[in-house]
Amino acid sequence: MQSGVTSTTVDRTAKRIGISETEVERRGLKYELGAPVTGAATVGDAVAVGFGDGSIRFFRPGQKPSVQQSHLGVILCMAAYQDVLVTGGDDGRCLKITPNGIMQELADFDTKWVDCVAATQGLVACSSGKNVQLWSARQSKPINFVHSSTVGGLSFDVRGQRLAVAHYGGVTVWERTKRKWKSSTFAWKGFHGAVTFSPDGKYLVSAMQENAVHGWRIRDKANLAMSGYPAKVKSFAWAGDTPFLVTSGADEAICWPFDGKNGPMERSPLCVAHNRKQIATCVLALQNEDAVFAGFRDGSVLLAKLDETVDPIAIRGSSGAEITAMALSPSKSHLAIGDAKGNVLWAPLGTGAAYERNV
Amino acid sequence: MNQTQQVPVTVLTGFLGAGKTTLLNRILTEQHGRRYAVIVNEFGEEGIDNDLVVDADEEVFEMNNGCICCTVRGDLIRILSGLMKRADQLDAIIVETTGLADPAPVAQTFFVDQDVADRTKLDAIVTVADAVHLNSQLGEHHEAEEQVAFADVVLLNKTDLVDETGLDGVEKRIKKINPYTKIIRTAHCDAPLENILSLDAFSLERVLEVEPDFLDSDHDHEHDDDVTSVSFVSEAPLDLEKFEAWFGKLLQTHGQDILRSKGIIEFLGIDERYVFQGVHMLMDASPMGAWPEGANRNSRMVFIGRNLESMNLKEGFEGCKAA
Repeated sequence: MQSGVTSTTVDRTAKRIGISETEVERRGLKYELGAPVTGAATVGDAVAVGFGDGSIRFFRPGQKPSVQQSHLGVILCMAAYQDVLVTGGDDGRCLKITPNGIMQELADFDTKWVDCVAATQGLVACSSGKNVQLWSARQSKPINFVHSSTVGGLSFDVRGQRLAVAHYGGVTVWERTKRKWKSSTFAWKGFHGAVTFSPDGKYLVSAMQENAVHGWRIRDKANLAMSGYPAKVKSFAWAGDTPFLVTSGADEAICWPFDGKNGPMERSPLCVAHNRKQIATCVLALQNEDAVFAGFRDGSVLLAKLDETVDPIAIRGSSGAEITAMALSPSKSHLAIGDAKGNVLWAPLGTGAAYERNV
Repeated sequence: MNQTQQVPVTVLTGFLGAGKTTLLNRILTEQHGRRYAVIVNEFGEEGIDNDLVVDADEEVFEMNNGCICCTVRGDLIRILSGLMKRADQLDAIIVETTGLADPAPVAQTFFVDQDVADRTKLDAIVTVADAVHLNSQLGEHHEAEEQVAFADVVLLNKTDLVDETGLDGVEKRIKKINPYTKIIRTAHCDAPLENILSLDAFSLERVLEVEPDFLDSDHDHEHDDDVTSVSFVSEAPLDLEKFEAWFGKLLQTHGQDILRSKGIIEFLGIDERYVFQGVHMLMDASPMGAWPEGANRNSRMVFIGRNLESMNLKEGFEGCKAA
C-alpha cells in the first residue's frame, strides 16, 4: 500500500493547503458540469451520475459519458438495482431509466417533490411527502403506504422481503407476507433520514437529524445509539466481512462492527481515513477488499483499509467543494466522484499490480 | 462551505387575510430581475405556475436534545437543502407560514441545522398585519402576539381603512410588544421589496445599528400571557463570568418564555464589544470588534417575551456588574 504512492499519502503536517492533486486524479478525466452532483449509482455496465439540472450522465470505462435529460429540475434521489435506475426529482416525477436511455415515468406527484427512492429485485419504491408508492413485478398498480410524517429515507433488505421507511419518530418496516404487506414500527424520538438494513437482515440503522446514527436489532427491537459525531451523518455504507457500518459525519470514517450477538453494543467503532479537521460527507465501500472511500467537505477523497494501523491513500485532492456522491464501475476498475460544485472525477483505480498496490 | 455565499431567507408571517398572498404574488410576478424561491404551505386556488414555488407541510420537529422549546421545521430543512442543489443561484428565498404558526421553529431551524446554516441565512422575519384587525387579534391569539414579537419588520397593511389615531394606537401596541421592530405602513402591501427582503436583520452587525424604540412600560391591566419587552442599560462594565453564569441559567430555565433577546455588552478587561442575539434558548454571540472612538461604552440588553416580570431580570443584570 505504501510503495509507489508515498507522494499522495496524506500529509498530516499540511494545515491549510489540504491534499494536493493525486496520481489517480492525473490519470483520470475531470469534468466541470455546472450543476451540483446530487447522486451516483452503479447501474448495468455504467455509473450513473445525477445532477441539479435534471440531467444524468452515464460513465463507462474507455467511453465518453452519455447524457440523458430526465427531470425538469433537481434530481433529489437515485437508487439502482442491476440495470434499473430509479430517480426522483423536484419536478414531482419518479422515473425508471436504463443505462441505454429508455425512460419510463412511474409516478407524477405534480407540485410535490419525490424525496426518496429505493430499488431491489422486482421492487421499486418512491416517497413523496408522507406517501410511499411501491411497485412490484407481480402487480400492475403500485401500493400506497401513508406515514405519520414526511419520509426521510427508504431501503429494501437484501432479500427484497422488507421495506424500511424512515420518518419522524422512528422507522416503519413493511414486510411482505403471502397476501399483503404488514407494518411494524421501530420507535425512537427524533427525525430519521437515510435508512438501511444490515446485509444479514438482522439490524436496521437510520441517520438522524441530530448528529447520530440509530440502530435496532430487529429480533427484539433493542436500541443501539451511535452518537458523538461532530456533524450530521449524511452517508453510510456496509463494508467488509464483519460487516462494518461505515459512516460520514466525523473527521474520519467511523466504522461500527455488526458482528456477534450484539453488534456494536458497548463497543468502540473503528476509525479510519483520518483527514485532519475535514468532515467526511460521503462514504463508499470497496467490497471484497475490506476498504472504504471517504469523501470530505473540502473535496478530498481518501481510500482506507478497515485497519487503523494502515495509512490511507489520497484519491482526490482538496478541490474546495464538498463530495456529494461516489460510485464504482461494475468491475470496480473506475471510480466516479462528484461534488457540490458540479465537478466529476472519473478515474481508473488501476488494474493488476497497480490495483494491488493501491488497495 | 464558507466559500459559498449564503442565500438569504425571509420568513413571512401574518394572520389570514392580512395580505400575505398579495405580497407573495408581487414577489413572484414583479419585474425585479431577481430569482426568488417561495416556500408556501398551500398552493393558492389560482395555482401559480412557477417552478420556484415549493409546497411545504409545516412539520415541526422536536430536537432529540432534551430541550423542549428547541423545535425546528423539518420540511424546511428538506426543502432548503433541495433548493441548494439547483443549477441556478437563487437571490433569496421566502418562507410563508400559516396564520396560526409560531415563528420560533422556523427561526430555530437556522440555528440548529448545520447544513441549513452553512448554505442559507435567516434574513428577517416579516409580519404582515391587518391595521383594522390587529388589535383584536392580539387579544385573542397567542400566535398574533408571537408574530409581532418575532418581527424584524411589521408591514402594517390596510392603513387606508383606519384613521390616523387608530394607526397610532396600533403602532403603539406593536412597539410595546417589540421595540426593535420596524413598522412600514402600506395600503395594499405596496412597499418597495427592498424594504422587505435582504435586510440582514439577524446578523450581529445589525444589532449594533438598530436602536430600540422603547415606550414607557406601564404594567396596567396586563395579564400574564401578554408578550412584553424590557430593556436594561449599565454604564458600569459587566463581569464575564458572572454574566455567563446568570445568562446561561436564565435561558435554561426561562428560554421558553423569552421569545427574542439582543444585547451589546461591555465586559471588564475586554476591549471588544460582545454582541448576542437569541431566539428562545438558542443564541448567536460573538465579539464584534472594538468600541468606536469616543463612543459611550455601556451594556444594553433587551428581552421580548412572556412572564418577564417573574424572572428577576433587573436584579440578575445588575448582579453581573463587575465589582
